Amino acid sequence: MDYPIWDVAFGGGVLIGTIAILHVLVSHFAVGGGLVMAWAETSLGRRPDPALRALLKRSSLMLILVSTVFGAISGVGIWFTIGLVQPAATSALIHSFVWGWAIEWAFFLLEVVTALAWYTTWDRVRPRTHRLLIVLYAFAAYMSLVIIQGILGFMLTPGRWLATHGFWDGFLNPTYLPGLVLRTGVCLLLAGSYLMLAALREKDRDARRRLAGLLGRIELAGAALAAAGLLWWKAALPAGVAANFLGEKPLIAALATGWRYVLVALAVSALLALLAAAVPKTLRWPQAVVALLAAFAVLGGYERVREGARKPFVVRGYMFSNGILVSEVERLNRDGILSKARWAAHQAGPDAVSRGRAVFRAECASCHTLDGYLSIRKRTSSADADYLALLLNALRDDGAKWAATPPQKADYPFMPPFVGTDEELQSLVSYLDSLKTPEPVKTAEANRAR
Amino acid sequence: MRADLVPALDPSPVPGPPALLVVLWIVTFLLHLLCVNAAMGGALFATLLPLRLSGEPRRAVSLFFVNANSWALSLAITFAIAPLLFLQVLDGRYFYTASILVAPVWLGLLLLLMLAYYLNWLAKFRLRDGKSAAGLLAVTAALYLVIAGIQTAVHLLSVQPGLWGSFLARPALVLADPTFPPRFLHFVLAAVAMAAILPAAWPRPLGDAAPEAARFGLRVSLAATLLQFVAGLWLLGALPRPVLTALVTGGLAMLAPLGLGALAGIALLMILVKAAAAPGDVRLARFALGAFAAAALFMIVTRHQVRDLYLAASRAAERMEVAPQWGVLALFLLVFVVCAGLTVWAVVRAVRDRPGPGEAAA
Repeated sequence: MDYPIWDVAFGGGVLIGTIAILHVLVSHFAVGGGLVMAWAETSLGRRPDPALRALLKRSSLMLILVSTVFGAISGVGIWFTIGLVQPAATSALIHSFVWGWAIEWAFFLLEVVTALAWYTTWDRVRPRTHRLLIVLYAFAAYMSLVIIQGILGFMLTPGRWLATHGFWDGFLNPTYLPGLVLRTGVCLLLAGSYLMLAALREKDRDARRRLAGLLGRIELAGAALAAAGLLWWKAALPAGVAANFLGEKPLIAALATGWRYVLVALAVSALLALLAAAVPKTLRWPQAVVALLAAFAVLGGYERVREGARKPFVVRGYMFSNGILVSEVERLNRDGILSKARWAAHQAGPDAVSRGRAVFRAECASCHTLDGYLSIRKRTSSADADYLALLLNALRDDGAKWAATPPQKADYPFMPPFVGTDEELQSLVSYLDSLKTPEPVKTAEANRAR
Repeated sequence: MRADLVPALDPSPVPGPPALLVVLWIVTFLLHLLCVNAAMGGALFATLLPLRLSGEPRRAVSLFFVNANSWALSLAITFAIAPLLFLQVLDGRYFYTASILVAPVWLGLLLLLMLAYYLNWLAKFRLRDGKSAAGLLAVTAALYLVIAGIQTAVHLLSVQPGLWGSFLARPALVLADPTFPPRFLHFVLAAVAMAAILPAAWPRPLGDAAPEAARFGLRVSLAATLLQFVAGLWLLGALPRPVLTALVTGGLAMLAPLGLGALAGIALLMILVKAAAAPGDVRLARFALGAFAAAALFMIVTRHQVRDLYLAASRAAERMEVAPQWGVLALFLLVFVVCAGLTVWAVVRAVRDRPGPGEAAA
């Protein structure tokens, strides 16, 4: 809010979402890969299986390239991106959970080093040492998930933290455990699906069938765990959150579609896993590819729903998605949003349209672009100035009333309130009204006039 | 100064004692910097190899560095996370603002980093197959230099809130900052000085190429360290007058780290002179690395002090609220000690454990 605003043509939220989904796919694969490979290598100690060993060795390079390179860099990428698009929210999260992240980092250090050591010591150390390395890797990778889930769940369901601001109250929030079960299942599903695809390179038909059956069972366990976690997660959501995408008349239709999409993808994953486990000889690459894509869709779809269900907050009940704190709504209605949005104000001229643009950048640009994602021009093109003023006034009054109610208040729906003075509201109306004539037309008219 | 552009302090209190956060920041940044030096300096040194080596010896030394870099870069990224966390707690508002001012470039840094990492793996596979990877190594080194330039620019933006208004219109102005060239040079020379010692300190994987690689490496390190003194003095002289004055008149506490860093640098220089005359002396080379690490530590502390001096005016009227989360802080320290211990144990075991006669390998 009081930071410079980076105008991303296609929307900052889209950028965060794209990087985040890529990262979660990779990081969940890294966790699931660790669990499955640690279990498989341990079982090799009891019952040697050259085909399984070859599969693990082949896949270890992928694990390294994915987890210690892409996973690590895209993880930092999320940091960078949220810091650029939502600096106030990033700062709030850091101030509340820095020690949680520091603990995750300590596990990540162990994870990276053991992953590299495991990969480089094939055929060089005794089997027991090699097993220890992958077990340590799996432990560290899973612990990083155990930690990060607390912070991800907190943003959607901060629970008692809203009253106490205590670390553990935020960390052990209502959706912590359901989310962890769900993510554990997805990790197994992703790892099983990838290894299934890799197992197709096995030349020996019997060995290939054996591997397919084994990995099918792992995928099936993952799908069952993910389904249980998903239903538990849904049940743990506050009614106001669930109303955004569940029920007969969901507030956000795209999220309702997303929710159904997750269920369908999960069903497809489970069916394909069952097929591979029950009739492994039928496994061919199209089946394995579809299983992997379905596993991607489960996680990607879930993340989309989880992020979307948080609307209109970054941290539910504490900070709106534009960085305005619930606790400062009253003050900003009195002093003006531009008293906080220093950079937007700094770049504004004295005229109403320019100040309105500054208000837009401060309050609306975190979700709405001009002509791209959630285009504001499209959304306001059919409204005249009076209607826009009426709408913004209603948004401001509803928001002010809601922010002034006790902490047990119902969830605020859909979009952050308008916050600011009458003068700022009129400026925003002027700016939105000025968008109705597209720039190219304005330029053409100016040229003709000349 | 347009102090009104500096974002307000975060409404939540700082969750730990600031002094402890600073110590953790400095220690983890040192670890990060040593790994960065190994990776960037290694790529730069490998690019210089054709000046001295050719054929199989050159391939062996290049392979030594790409192998080391696959570890060094992973660890550099991992060790970057912790200082970034502690920086954001204490100085997040300056860091976020600086990075937003050059947002596309800052985000692009990650793409360059990923490209550099994958090129390193590609070079590794080519060298293992007996092919040349000189071009790949040169491109990797160039990518690192660009990344170093971006980091230097963002740091300079973050410590000069008084210039943010001008930077907003033209962020590239930061490249014209008088301290930009010496800062960048200081960073790059340090990387080369450290990485070039590595062949002399760990000659075993280099085989027959070890003596020549050690000799060349120690000479390059010596030259880089000598130039480092020039760059350091240039940087001191280029500092804004109020910052330099506050630094030199700040008393013992302010000058001690800089003085100790310079002394460690002189010690490094003397060890390198001796080591260059006896390039087969592994212990001497490792001793040089120790002196380098000491110099780096003191220089990081100095850098931190200089940052504080730059930001002193902007922070003057503020008081940071502190409310330590003692329980979870203690848990972090415990987890860190356990994980660091397990990490060291795992590496030692991976290096030392070998199957006995007749025993199968994993």
